[in-house]
Amino acid sequence: MQQEYKSKSYSHVFKIILILIAVLGLGVAVRAMVMPKTFGEFGHYRGSAIEDEMNRPIRNGTNASCLVCHPYIRQMHLEGVHNTVSCEFCHGPMADHVKDGKVIADLPMKQGEEIKKLCLRCHNQIIRARPKESIKMISMPQHLEEKHVRIDHNCNQCHNVHAPLMWVNQAKAIVGAGGDSK
Amino acid sequence: MMDVIQKEMSRDRRAFIKNVLSGTIAGSLLLVIPAGAMDLGNIPEQITGMRDDTEPFITKRKFAFIVDITRCIGCGSCCVADKNEYQVPDGMYRTWVERYVIDDEDNVYVDSPNGGLDGYQEPRKDIPHPVRDTFFVPKLCNMCEHPSCVQVCPVGATYQTDDGFVLIDAKRCVACGYCIQACPYSVRFINPKTKTADKCTWCYHRVRKGLLPVCVNVCPVQARKFGDLNDKESEVYKILHQPHVVSILKPGMGNKPSLHYVGLRREVV
Amino acid sequence: MSPEHGVAAATALTNFVFPNDLHVHWSLMIVLYPYITGIVAGAFIVSSLYHVFHIESLKPVSRYALIFALAFVAFATMPLLNHLGHPERAMSMMFTPSASSAMAGFGYIYSAYTVLLILEILLIYRPTLVALKKTSTGYMQKLYGVLTLGSDNVSEKSLALDHKIIAFLAAIGIPMACTLHGYVGFIFGGVKANPMWATPLMPVIFLLSASVSGIAGIILSYILIKTFTRKALDMDCVRTLIKFLWGCFILDFVFEMLELFSHYYMATHHWHQLHALYFGPLYGTFWVAQVGIFSVIPFVALGILSLVKLPDGVVKFFGSIVSLMILIQVLLMRWNVVIGGQLMSKSERGHTVFHPEWFEKEGILVSIIIMILPIVFLFLLSKVFPFWLDDDPAANKQSV
Repeated sequence: MQQEYKSKSYSHVFKIILILIAVLGLGVAVRAMVMPKTFGEFGHYRGSAIEDEMNRPIRNGTNASCLVCHPYIRQMHLEGVHNTVSCEFCHGPMADHVKDGKVIADLPMKQGEEIKKLCLRCHNQIIRARPKESIKMISMPQHLEEKHVRIDHNCNQCHNVHAPLMWVNQAKAIVGAGGDSK
Repeated sequence: MMDVIQKEMSRDRRAFIKNVLSGTIAGSLLLVIPAGAMDLGNIPEQITGMRDDTEPFITKRKFAFIVDITRCIGCGSCCVADKNEYQVPDGMYRTWVERYVIDDEDNVYVDSPNGGLDGYQEPRKDIPHPVRDTFFVPKLCNMCEHPSCVQVCPVGATYQTDDGFVLIDAKRCVACGYCIQACPYSVRFINPKTKTADKCTWCYHRVRKGLLPVCVNVCPVQARKFGDLNDKESEVYKILHQPHVVSILKPGMGNKPSLHYVGLRREVV
Repeated sequence: MSPEHGVAAATALTNFVFPNDLHVHWSLMIVLYPYITGIVAGAFIVSSLYHVFHIESLKPVSRYALIFALAFVAFATMPLLNHLGHPERAMSMMFTPSASSAMAGFGYIYSAYTVLLILEILLIYRPTLVALKKTSTGYMQKLYGVLTLGSDNVSEKSLALDHKIIAFLAAIGIPMACTLHGYVGFIFGGVKANPMWATPLMPVIFLLSASVSGIAGIILSYILIKTFTRKALDMDCVRTLIKFLWGCFILDFVFEMLELFSHYYMATHHWHQLHALYFGPLYGTFWVAQVGIFSVIPFVALGILSLVKLPDGVVKFFGSIVSLMILIQVLLMRWNVVIGGQLMSKSERGHTVFHPEWFEKEGILVSIIIMILPIVFLFLLSKVFPFWLDDDPAANKQSV
């Protein structure tokens, strides 16, 4: 007995195809909506991403930028053997100090043991990996003993941190060229 | 008014100070300096002419980065500056410094506590034999010519600019982590703040504004060098074109890094 | 003890991990993702063995295998979405896929495969669904109305058309299932920076282990469901499935060992690293668990079950035990590949550690939930799609 059906024999297949096309069309439409405008401008990426990266805020200045406002330090620092040491290495990034041309906060000045620790970051002889042509090395506490100073002396009691040899040389000049720094 | 001061200063810095101190330059001018002076936007250019280059890509220069490990003292200035510049979360490293120690038995010991951020305060105490050789190796993005991170990024969030910088679009990164797996140099990480992939950019934002990458700027011994290969007078050009021991990391990966090392030892991976 | 201890001490001393390698980025979620897709691909292959290769003895599970695959495929992307730092941007993979990325194609392959699976199920079940629509009421009737796509036509002509489409879908389904999982293997196998992953054998191993886990999943769930519903098992079907499981597992296990052996034999500088890994942090999960317990025992047991004539009860009991062991073996394999590969630092000088937490975002609890969800979904599907021909009101009309 031939049964009667309301739908045609292929109607479901037809609907499947319609649904697939609709999904595909929806996908294309949504893609067009959410696609970043500059995508593909230069390659398979968002072109304006370059600009975003370019506009990342600069947080560290340069020694030149710091020393503009600190003329006294400037003279010392640039004349001394520490002239290649970055201001911001010890004091922190300029962005924490100046904003829109205005001073917003003071940067920290290292004190006491912190200073010693900073000095020894570079000058500690016991860390042997440091090339001699790059830097002068000292051993602690032998250095203090050699110079006949008290063992609890801090580095900055003899060495100005900005120009480490300044006071040493001045002392030498006073005592005479052959004299010890003490 | 600032221009006058700056011009005066750049002419003769010492004379300027002397003049200020002796009162030749008006005291009122000096008062202007702290108020209206240096902002991060107008720091004197370190790479001259960069601010005139407003094209989407850097046109006249081909930048190269060279690390001279014969000079590095492992002070960690670069790491500190980098962390400050990008406010990198703890435990993630855009750049780091490794310490290599080789003993008389040719055993190689490497460490990099906190990525060298705190410097190297103590010698290694766990080495049973006398130490033969020891040196520091700074690491950063290799800016590969054929970057595998760009190759694997499924959405085009990591990309290579026409001038050779490999950058990340933090607005599109899905943080799948595939680039982290693909990078042979492990310079990438997921930044927990932005929840996107992050890595060293050679300070693209500074370079485009005429400043050196921050690590290069702060290095006290010029162990990190950044310059223009189109300029035959530049230090980087000379290093790469004159007989020097120059090599790259993991050449077998085929990534062709643009980061070169002077005096690289065979122990370095 | 002492020589191993010496090795451990030496590696501890020289152990150097790149600072950014300390953290394992692909964690439990990325272990589960290939595990789930593997089960899907394997279950589909079981169904195709009947629908395409006409292995008549597999007819009792041929439709169930498709529903089983659907239950798991529905949750295959869940671990991925949970893993992503920005799941809301996941569609970028579909909208702006990078042609060079081994990962970018996954969205399309996965979607195409899901569509194919749904279509095949709807067409195969159509006479059943039409019959069920007539007997059901309320919202179930509405649901069947949607699932039958509003068609009540189950004439011979209409079913003949369906049959052609089903054969076509099943035929392209096999390469697609293979692609789906071989491709997942390639996502790992294409990472040149990782010496453990970067082998052309990786897609093969993933595909074979996928087949194995899918077949094992079908056997185990078939036996369990039939036992708990107190219905008769088709033992001929179970025995055939066990034979296929054995065959696939022989290939799977041999290739897994072959991959390791090639590394060992070629002994490039990577072997030094891999050796330290396999005999260090992976010793327990790889040698003891994956190989020793969950490969060798099932390997022998499957051989006996396939070759020796055993009573039905024994086959039923050991068949389910072995299938469970195989499912654990494949999970261990995923763990050892995904996590193990990341334990090696690219410093080539050491490895990091990984301990999953219970309650973190990608932790153990979430993993368990993700593995339970497909089973819950399978239960729900059983209310809509009768798994077995005995329960099918239109069974006598079935041609496929």
